[in-house]
Parts: sequence; C-alpha cells; structure tokens
Amino acid sequence: MGGGMSGPSFNIDNGYLEGLIRGFKNGILTRNDYLNLVQCETLEDLKVHLQSTDYGSFLANEPGPLSVSVIDDKLRNKLVLEFQHIRNQSVEPLSTFLDYITYSYMIDNIVLLITGTLHQRSISELAAKCHPLGIFEQMEAIGAVSTPAELYNTIIVDTPLAPFFLDCIFVQDLDEMNIEIIRNTLYKNYLEEFHNFCQQIGGITADVMCEILAFEADRRAIIITINSFGTELTKDDRSKLYPCCGKLHPEGLSALARSDDYDQVRAVADYYAEYKVLFEGAGNNPGDKTLEDKLFEHEVKLNVFSFLQQFHFGVFYSFIKLKEQEIRNIIWISECVAQRHRTKIDNYIPIF
Amino acid sequence: YCSTAVLIFRLLDFGLLRLTKRAMNISERDVGISFRSEEMTRIQMFLQNDSAYACVSEFGELGLVQFSDLNENVNEFQRKYINEVRRCDEMERKLRYIEKECRKCINQSPPDSGENPETPMPSEMFNLELTFEKLENELKEVNSNKETLMKNKLELTELKHILRKTQTFFDEAQLTLGQTSRSEESMSTSLLSAEAPIGSSSGDSQQSPKFGFIAGVIARERVPSFERMLWRACRGNVFLRQTEIETPLEDPVTGEEVSKCVFIIFFQGEQLKTKVRKICEGYKATMYPCPESQAERREMSMGVMTRIEDIQTVLSQTAEHQTRLLSNAARSIRVWFRKVKKIKAVYHTLNLCNTQKAIIAEGWCPSSELDRVNLAARRGTERSGTDIPAIINTMATRRTPPTYHRTNKFTNGFQAIVDAYGVADYREINPAPFTLITFPFLFAVMFGDCGHGSIMFLFALWMVINEKKFLAEKSTNEMWLMLFGGRYIILLMGLFSVYTGLLYNDCFSKSLNIFGSSWSLAETREKMNVTMETLRTTSTIQLNPAVTFQTGSPYPIGIDPIWNISKNQIVFLNSYKMKLSIILGVAQM
Repeated sequence: MGGGMSGPSFNIDNGYLEGLIRGFKNGILTRNDYLNLVQCETLEDLKVHLQSTDYGSFLANEPGPLSVSVIDDKLRNKLVLEFQHIRNQSVEPLSTFLDYITYSYMIDNIVLLITGTLHQRSISELAAKCHPLGIFEQMEAIGAVSTPAELYNTIIVDTPLAPFFLDCIFVQDLDEMNIEIIRNTLYKNYLEEFHNFCQQIGGITADVMCEILAFEADRRAIIITINSFGTELTKDDRSKLYPCCGKLHPEGLSALARSDDYDQVRAVADYYAEYKVLFEGAGNNPGDKTLEDKLFEHEVKLNVFSFLQQFHFGVFYSFIKLKEQEIRNIIWISECVAQRHRTKIDNYIPIF
Repeated sequence: YCSTAVLIFRLLDFGLLRLTKRAMNISERDVGISFRSEEMTRIQMFLQNDSAYACVSEFGELGLVQFSDLNENVNEFQRKYINEVRRCDEMERKLRYIEKECRKCINQSPPDSGENPETPMPSEMFNLELTFEKLENELKEVNSNKETLMKNKLELTELKHILRKTQTFFDEAQLTLGQTSRSEESMSTSLLSAEAPIGSSSGDSQQSPKFGFIAGVIARERVPSFERMLWRACRGNVFLRQTEIETPLEDPVTGEEVSKCVFIIFFQGEQLKTKVRKICEGYKATMYPCPESQAERREMSMGVMTRIEDIQTVLSQTAEHQTRLLSNAARSIRVWFRKVKKIKAVYHTLNLCNTQKAIIAEGWCPSSELDRVNLAARRGTERSGTDIPAIINTMATRRTPPTYHRTNKFTNGFQAIVDAYGVADYREINPAPFTLITFPFLFAVMFGDCGHGSIMFLFALWMVINEKKFLAEKSTNEMWLMLFGGRYIILLMGLFSVYTGLLYNDCFSKSLNIFGSSWSLAETREKMNVTMETLRTTSTIQLNPAVTFQTGSPYPIGIDPIWNISKNQIVFLNSYKMKLSIILGVAQM
C-alpha cells in the first residue's frame, strides 16, 4: 500500500479524482463572497448572491418563501452529491479512506436515532434528520433495541463500526449521559483506527493526515475536559474518552485527566506551542473569540495547508471539512439575516 | 502544377478582397464579411420612466446596441429592478416545473413551433404570472390526487399478493400436517393454533401454543439484511417465509418500478411481536392484516379485486385529466419561456442604466445604424403611449469602442475561428475574410485525398441542404453542434481537398491511372539491361529516369501514378507535401 503512492503512479488511479477535488476547492467561497453575503437584507438576496458562486441555481426550484432549514438542506445535498460521485469513482485504497470519512457521520446518526427513540420520536421523522453520508441499511431498526449489547448484536455488528464498539458493550443502559459516553468512545476508537490506517498508507498522506487527526484528537480531549467540569463524569471515565493519537499523548492526556478547571487545562496546553497560542486571546468577553472558534480556525488553517502538497489523500478529507465549515458559515450568516440580529454576523471563519 | 494552381487561388483571393472592399462602400450591410470592424458611436439615451421598458425591448429586438453598466459599484441585489427579475425567476421556476411534468407524463418534450413572440408589456406580465400560478396549482392538485390513488392501489395490490401467497404457506402447512408424525419438529409443520400439535411429545390433542404471525410486503433488496436482523434481534426465535412478487409494482411517488417480496413471520409471545413490528418499521416493510382461515381470505381477496378495479377506473380518469392539462400547456410552453426570457432580459438591461431621475442609458451602436436605432426608440415611445419622445445623443469619447464584425451564416464559422485566437482591436484589419479561402485551402494542401475529400464534401453538403431542419431541432449534443456549426468550413475544406487530391493523385490513398504513366519499363527494358529473368527474381528495380521516363509527355495532371507502386513513395511524397505546406504557411505570415 505504501509503494506506488508517490508521484506519477498516484495519478493512475487517483489523478482524475484529485483534479476534480481541486476544481471543487476553487469554488469554495472567498472573503469577498462573505463580504457580499453579510450585506444581504433578506434570504432572497442571499440566494441571488449565491447564484453567482459555484452553488449556482441550487435554490432555483424551491417554491415559496425561503427558510434557513431549506438552505441548509440544499447546501448539504450539493456536498453529498459531490462526495458520492468521488466515492463511486474511487478504487482502493482511496475508497477505504473515503469510507473512513463517512464513519464519523454514521456515529452521529446512530446517536441521533438512539436519543430520538429515547424521547419517543418516530423513526421516520428521525431518519429524515440523519446526515446522508452516514446512512446505512440497518439504521432504522434502532427502534427495536434497548441496551447497548443488543444494539451491538443486532445492528452495529454488520456495519463497519463494529470494531469501534467493543468497549461500549459494557455500558448498562441507554440514557442521556451514557449515550454521550458511547458517542465519545466510538469516536475515540474511530479516530485511532483512522490514524493507524493513514500511517499504514504512508508517504505524504500519512504526513498530512496524521497531523490533522492529531489536532482533532487533542481538540476533542480539551473540549471533553472543559465540558465535563460540573457534570457527573468521573475523572477515570473521562480519561478513557481521550483519543490517544494526538500530540498530548501521553503526558498531556494524563495531566488533563487530573485537571479540575479551565485554568489548569490552559496550563497543560501551555506546554505545547501551537495550543498555547490558541488559548491566548480566547475568552468569553464580547469581542473576543471563543475557544471553539479558535480551534475551528486552527483546523481550517491545517486543512488549507493540505492543499499545498500533491499526490496524497489528505485533500479529500480537507475538502469535506472545509465545505462543512463553509456551510456552517453560510447558515450562521443566514440565521443572522433572517432574524435581523446583525451584531455578531461577522463571526464566521473565512477560509480563503 | 500545384504551384500555378495555388497562385491562381491567391489571385482570386486578392480579387475577392478588392471586390468586397468596393462593395463595402456601396452597402456595408449586405456583405457578410467585414474587412475592418465597423465604426461605432457612443450614444446616450434619455428615456422616460414609462416608455423605458418599451424602448429597451425595441432595442433588444433590433440587436444593434450594447449597453454599458453604469452601476458597477452597486451590488446585484441592490439594483432598482431586482424585484421584477425575481418575479421572472419565479415564473421560470413554475415553467420548468410544468415542463418537467410534461416530460414525465406525456413522455415527449413540448413541441417548438419556432414562433418568436413580442416582448410582453409589464401589464401582460402580471397576467402571465396568474396563468402560470393557476396551472401550477392545478397540476400540483392533480399530482397529489394521482399519488393518493396510486398509493391506495399499491396497497390493495400488495394485499392481493399477500392473500394469494400466504395461501401457499398455509397450504404447505396443511399438506405436511397429515404426513408428519406428531413428534417431529419439521419446519413446515403448521404453526397455527387448533390445527396440529407442534413438537409435543405425547399424542394427546391439546391446544398447541398459539403462534402469532405478521404478514407484509418488503422491497426485494432489503430481504437478506432483514432476515439477518430478525435472526439476531429475536435470537432465532422467529420464523420467516418469503416469496417474490413476480410483477414489479409501481412506486406512487417516483413512478419507478420496484420488485417486492411477500413475507410472513411467525412468532410466539408479545415481546417478540413488538420487536418484530419495530424491525419491520425500520426496514420500511408495509404490514397487512391477514385473516387466518382460508374462507375469510378468499372473501377478502374478492373484495380487494373489486376495489382495485374501482380505483383503476378513477385512476385512468385522473390520468386523462392530467394528460389533457399538460397537452394544453405543452402547446404554449415554448412561447411562454421565450416571453419570460425577454422580460427578464429587458429588466437586466434596465438594471444597467442610471435610474436616479429619468432613466439614462449609455452604450455603443454602429454609426451606420443610428437611424434604425432612432426609429426603434420612436417605436418604443409609441408603443408605450407616452408623448415625450426618447432622446438619443451621440457622445464624443476617448474610450475604445467595441469591435463589431458583421457576419452572415457562411462567414460566421470563419469569424468564430479567428476570434478564438483573439478579437481584433477596433478598426484593425479583420483576418477573417482572408481565412475564407486560405484556411480550407491550407487544410486541403495537408489533407490531399480526393476520395476522402469528396466524402467530406458530400457530408457537408448534406448538412447545408438540411440546414433549416437541423436548426429547428435545437439539438444539445456538443459534438454534433460543433460539426454543424462548421458546415460551410467543412464544405470548402472538402471541395479544395478534392482539387489537391487530384493534384497529388491520391484517391483513398491509391493513385488513379487515368492518362497512362510516363514511366515505362516495358518499352525501355533493353536500354535498361533488364532481362525477364531479372524481372522474375528481383523484388525491386531502380528505374533510371534518363532511360525510362518518356520526356516530352509527362503525366498531364498531378503526380505520376507510378509513384504509388514505388518503394520510396512515402519518402518522396512526404518531403514534397511538407515543403509545399511550409512554404505556403510561412508565406502567409
């Protein structure tokens, strides 16, 4: 798998797809586009402006007054269409790589369905809310299960998520907090598995992807720690949720496991140069960026860097992530426009 | 010979140019090719608010004015007429919906009568909007009715299949009932109550444990996954039988055909029942109540058949109504599309103008056409019914005017090729008239095959003769459009290739020996000291031109056919053709 990945032999199997991805990447909205978008007064204006971008007339056939959820759906559909075309045209090992990208959406969908069933919502209603990239066949039968062991034995065991689930079977039953634990455990295992896969591919893909995934792992560790202050999650349980493929492993993670409040987390991050910068200037005062925003910015920066190299799979992953950020930006601006609350409209994260 | 012919052509070319230049001064409009781009004047138009729309539409029909964007710093959605453009967008959306329905239900794209309607006035736009909205609502209603009916029909058909197929399941059970001994636990033993004891070791006829069942229909591709899920979830304690429904059923929403299977699940106990039900819901299997006894099933079956027939009649009536609506709409849809496009174009153009007090527009038009532009403005004012005429001023300006070449259908292709390399500056010499002859001729010099050339010529001739038919078809095939757009070019290329093919003596890559070769070995064999023995044994003989060539009677037209059988044909001819092409090509420069 490592050999045949560099230079010209990459193009035999993946040249068309990399070219396609770079074409799509050129269509990502620029700062100019965002400046025009924030000047819109209504959602109709937004639609007119988006017509001149790569999105074209994606809203052309929508009847009646526009709503933010319609825009969200259509934006996502375009991304899903592009991804599925690329997935359909890909061969190994790119196809496995792309499948790994979809697993994170599958995890989200499963958790959404379980939470929904807990709150007695109907399966068809929940199925409509699932992310299209994470749909798998057995998904809707989740209504029939009531414990994690059952969930594993009936549904997960046939999906590619089976190996990630083994740690979760011992959770007793499916209630609110346990679902979060399941989600985070699944995600931790998925991230480590993905990291291993990228390292196996080797070459430039490993360099680029492992850097991005390491940041993702560390970011999750930090966020889990901060969010767990004041909840019933014990420190032991918390440390079991930290993914081990990041820079914080092992000393940083053990320090995080011991910390009790925000300042101690910050002290841990100070040992690592990139993360120290992120914590500076982050705060909850108005006019400051929040920590989440700074983490998003750093992620965007890493993803943009991956396009500087050629002949690797990282561009596919980065494209999906950048498009998601773009969708988040557009929806944020649309919400501000629709609710006429323009004070924070500039809080989007520009990409190019 | 080649060279003289080429010279003649160059003279013709030059003469053609002189002629066209003289004709230019007489009536520039009629000649289809321009030597230089036309002289353009910058005009400034003062239009009244009421007559602006009509005037712009007249300018649009004329096609001789290029408007400049006076609102460059303004955003697209902050311009004055953006609301009208949005209304046009909305109308186009409705028309697209209607067209899609036409294509889906009556299976043909709407016919195009080629009619070119006038630009509708703003008042008419309102009427158009109402018509489209009414049509769209009617179509939506008919569609939803049809969908409900089809869904009902689908349910009834599925129920009919279930009743028929489950009959086989129960029959099997009945059959094996008499055959199996009571202690056997055969899978096909009847699982229904009061029929036979199941797996009971003793021979007494007590009530067997009651097995419930659920019957339903599921899409065929989900069956393996469904079976597996049932097995896992119920730990193998349920029993599934399924058979296929042979005829595919039509899905009410998409209209596609789906293959489905009938299944029946036997289980024991309430918990399993809820589980099975939830799994069926998860796999989008529709469940139907199925009576246990055969008599009831037969009765239900008959009832279902009559209901299916009823629904079918209502369905055909609805379909007829829909077809009628759509065929009516299909007749005028193309004209409507054109009308809406024209309205939208007028409003886009109005958005380019300065609209603070009166509407001021600036643009370019050919100097020779100023009268026609004035006339158009006057027509527009009359149409809108206002008294104040539109004022058109010519402005002196330092800006470089745009380049405007007049073309007709023959010269259009050549002008397009020249423009692809770069559009000429204002009043610069237009290379296109030269290329009318030189481009196809240079092609022919390189192609040089009269057989293949004549095929090209005939193909292009066919395209040109059936021009009108092809233009009316409005095909969207890119390859065809490329060929068709260049039909005149291909015509000339083929014609000249026939000529050069004759000169190269190349017909389907073979030479024609029309006049007899001037190289003769037969007559000069003794002089060449070649005996019959040598002829029979050696494979090649080098001919001495001093001896074998009949001087004084060279082959009249073209290259001697003997070259076709010579070994150094390719070396000679390639060098010859290449040098000729290079000399001609460099001379062009």
